[in-house]
Amino acid sequence: MRKKLVLVVAGMGLFLAAVPVWAHHAFAAEFDANKSVKLRGTVTKMEWINPHAWIHIDVKNQDGTTTNWMVEGGTPNTLFRRGITKDSLLPGTEIVVDGYQAKDGSNRANGRDVTFPDGRKLFLGNANSDAPGSAGAEKK
Amino acid sequence: MSIRWIVWMIAASAAAAPSGSIPRTPDGKPSFSGVWEIPYVPDMSKNGRAAPGIVPAQVGPGALPFTAWGEQDFKAYDPGKFDYTAHCLPLGWTRQMNTPMPLEIMQEPNRIAILFEAWQTFKVIPTDGRSHPKNVDATWMGNSVGRWEGDTLVIDTIGFNEKTRLDTIGHPHSDQLHVVERLSRTDATHLAYEITVTDPKAYSEPFSNKRIFTLRPDWELMEYSCEENNKEVTEGHVK
Repeated sequence: MRKKLVLVVAGMGLFLAAVPVWAHHAFAAEFDANKSVKLRGTVTKMEWINPHAWIHIDVKNQDGTTTNWMVEGGTPNTLFRRGITKDSLLPGTEIVVDGYQAKDGSNRANGRDVTFPDGRKLFLGNANSDAPGSAGAEKK
Repeated sequence: MSIRWIVWMIAASAAAAPSGSIPRTPDGKPSFSGVWEIPYVPDMSKNGRAAPGIVPAQVGPGALPFTAWGEQDFKAYDPGKFDYTAHCLPLGWTRQMNTPMPLEIMQEPNRIAILFEAWQTFKVIPTDGRSHPKNVDATWMGNSVGRWEGDTLVIDTIGFNEKTRLDTIGHPHSDQLHVVERLSRTDATHLAYEITVTDPKAYSEPFSNKRIFTLRPDWELMEYSCEENNKEVTEGHVK
């Protein structure tokens, strides 16, 4: 039996660890754990359909242009039990998304956290994984 | 029942908030019926995360005892070449138990059904004393039979095809895979689960992974269609 227990402080879901993200079945096929992205922008659309929720956001670039990104989250079922609903991210909502970009360099990312202007965080991935930011045994 | 298993179960019972006695069925067996929250296990060798003071929801064995074949196969695994789960193919038995989505157990005296929200699939486990059929066709989820050892339900599964992986990270298995799971009620809202994997082609000895399931009387299984909006495949992002 392993004597060492892996303990984390269960805060609002942010725990940074230098381990690859295995949170998603196709993650390794599609996204790059070494390509962290921080996307600041406005929600344009949310797709709340299995197998994954997708958040579309208009990101303001430094040069003043806007790029539309799509961010993949966990299944709507899992997010729903964590208190996220299809009304949590209505079009027009300002958010910051932390995640990992697609390997092909396109404007797609696997989302880890969403942060609102008031500081609230929503964890988008799967709990109890090795993913950086995983909140462990979240209960709702 | 091994001493280590008993010690772990006692620790799990003590650490989980005591919440009443274990329900029993009319035939005197502990009842496993209900919707259970299960820990997400993308890597069966590792421990899961846990809040402080609580027994981890998942305890792994550490480095797996690969054979030469197992190690080579694991190193060669690349979901970028083909990820069967991204194509919504069946997960396979161990990976089905590893998902972050709940399951429901329905228990009758001679049969137990496990309903999985992930992939919206199921498994029926006869507990009427039968053995595995003589010639078992290789399937994605294997052939399961169950038996009682006191208050522990033991599920024995063989007959796997070679189209799946044990877990998300890609630990391999062959058609020699033999899975034994032991389930015990620790209190009114928890279940202790241990899965032991034996596969002499891939691993030089068996290894085990222990978890705690939590009863969720307020949850219902939700619909899950893997194919419905599967952009990764329909938009060509994965092979």
